[in-house]
Amino acid sequence: MTVSIEALKEKFRNPGPAELELIARYAMLPESGQRERAFFAFAETGLPHRRMEAWKWTDFKNAIGAVEASKHASQAAPLPTPNAAIIEFSATGVTLPDTLPKGIKLHQREDSQALGNAEDVPLGAMTAALAGRVGGLDTLIIEVTEQTDTPVHIIMRGDRDEANFARVAVIVRPGASLELIESHVGGAGFSSFLIEIGMQEGGHVRRTVFQRGSADEAQAITAVVNLGDKSEYTQTALAFGAQVARLETQLKHQESGSHATLNGAYLCADGYHADYTSVVRHGAPSTVTRQLTKGAVLGGGTGVFQGKFYVPRTVGQHTDADMQHQALLLEDGAVVFAKPELEIYADDVECAHGNTSGALDPNQLFYMRQRGIPEADARALLTEAFIAEALEDANEGVEDALLDAARSFLAERV
Amino acid sequence: MRPMLKLDDLRATVGDEDEAKTILTGLSLEVPAGEVHAIMGPNGAGKSTLSYILTGRDGYEVTGGSAELEGEDLLDMDPEERAAKGLFLSFQYPVEIPGVPVMTFVRTAMNAQRKLRGEDEISAPDFIKKSREIGKQLNLTTEMLKRPVNVGFSGGEKKRLEIFQMMMLEPRFAILDETDSGLDIDALRTVANGVNALRGPERAMLVITHYQRLLDHIKPDKVHVLANGKIIKTGGPELALRLEEEGYDGVLGEAA
Repeated sequence: MTVSIEALKEKFRNPGPAELELIARYAMLPESGQRERAFFAFAETGLPHRRMEAWKWTDFKNAIGAVEASKHASQAAPLPTPNAAIIEFSATGVTLPDTLPKGIKLHQREDSQALGNAEDVPLGAMTAALAGRVGGLDTLIIEVTEQTDTPVHIIMRGDRDEANFARVAVIVRPGASLELIESHVGGAGFSSFLIEIGMQEGGHVRRTVFQRGSADEAQAITAVVNLGDKSEYTQTALAFGAQVARLETQLKHQESGSHATLNGAYLCADGYHADYTSVVRHGAPSTVTRQLTKGAVLGGGTGVFQGKFYVPRTVGQHTDADMQHQALLLEDGAVVFAKPELEIYADDVECAHGNTSGALDPNQLFYMRQRGIPEADARALLTEAFIAEALEDANEGVEDALLDAARSFLAERV
Repeated sequence: MRPMLKLDDLRATVGDEDEAKTILTGLSLEVPAGEVHAIMGPNGAGKSTLSYILTGRDGYEVTGGSAELEGEDLLDMDPEERAAKGLFLSFQYPVEIPGVPVMTFVRTAMNAQRKLRGEDEISAPDFIKKSREIGKQLNLTTEMLKRPVNVGFSGGEKKRLEIFQMMMLEPRFAILDETDSGLDIDALRTVANGVNALRGPERAMLVITHYQRLLDHIKPDKVHVLANGKIIKTGGPELALRLEEEGYDGVLGEAA
């Protein structure tokens, strides 16, 4: 390595034990200019912490005292996808499908460039620097050249590992479409996944994400999405959280007429923390964003929603964007932080946002109990119905599995 | 004959302790099995309060007296236990349950009641058959029964949906709270036909209403006048007609 560990340490201001371990991991990986750039970008901030505005409610540095093996195997089974092409990342490597659906190609690169802004996100930069291993691939590239129906299912699963880092790039060629499913089921003390999706003219991607970690794990799922001319991106996520879990989406409308849907639901039990953060840049005229995030939190659980729409002065004209976040605080001691932001400089736009939080309606509960439904069942049914709206655009093949996961969680805990 | 519902000197307040307001002041009432009784009374008499206290809604405190359904103390039970014992309330203002389709809701309720009673669940084909038959009687389309409970329903549709639920759940004792409000004449007849179909020696009902017109269709065995938190007069169906003619003031003046 041209850069010594000592020199790397100096790049970090006051590195903690976890950061020292990440430096050591970096030093063991093959040298590369891209990797180095990403790692230096990560070194600017180190593990994100509460004194950084975008991370004030989700403190990875504090949560990851040291990168330690998880006490648990993965917390949940991945979503059932009998027909999908499955790509599984574990701490020891990646397992690729034997056959690929027509129209999908996989490329493995040892040295690939970030799409653009992954390096601006601390955990995106970290993952870009640390994904891969000696002799293994650095980035998996999924190239989609046709309209495809068979889903690609990416599984991130550990087995009492310390860390599981993976990086995927998706290139959607003009007019091509992809059904992407992801299961992030924990099993590592620190998991971080970076996906960069570049969509060309008229491309379609539907991304359905399932996240469930355990209460001693940190999980980051970072997506950087660039939308081309008249492309359409639909994202649906269900998160149960972890000690800290962050689902971050940095999305750019780059050319006119693109359409993005960003939906998510979170269900957090005592000791679990789920964070949905998104930044959407309407960097071209006549682009549309629809965002609905719904959550329900039990006592001792924490939900975070940070959403931002940025609409520049000239290129952002005729933006049509709507952001809604609705949270249910199911018990005393449930915590939800929300920060919806609209930053609009163009003058001919339609942008709206709404943000509510509250408890279940006692009138609804009484009505249901009067019909004979026990209180706990009534609470679970109302909560399920509440969050289900945010899951309606999920891949049809796994929508029921998402609802089942929510239902059994609620039946057990509410 | 032992009464199905027996209320004895029932007293209750609503609101927080320091601001508690007395709303029932010693209400006694007996409804035998097989009978339909009507409760009439001016606004603020405590009619809806009575239905909420009997079904166990939060926010009311019973300060004295007793309420029994078939000899069992109602006031000691959770709302869902009372429902499983066969107590049903057709709400004056039915509540919207977004995201929960009518069919899912009723089936969940039916099976929850059966479970509390230690009975087997209803099979899916039996449930669907029964719901179609009853829906047809009440002019509720299959499409309406797939919609979320009361969401986007008109006032009259909501009331018909209450009766749909009642006919599906087949309660032993039903309280109909102002079920006639919001109904046009045709819907009133439809609803009354549904209610009358459930009349039988094993069931009883309490019909709370402001007006005589519902009682033209659902003939009560007895009419009670509720004022100032208690029953002040009881009579046959002719009492409702007298109330219609003379107004509450006339009848209440006489009672006082």
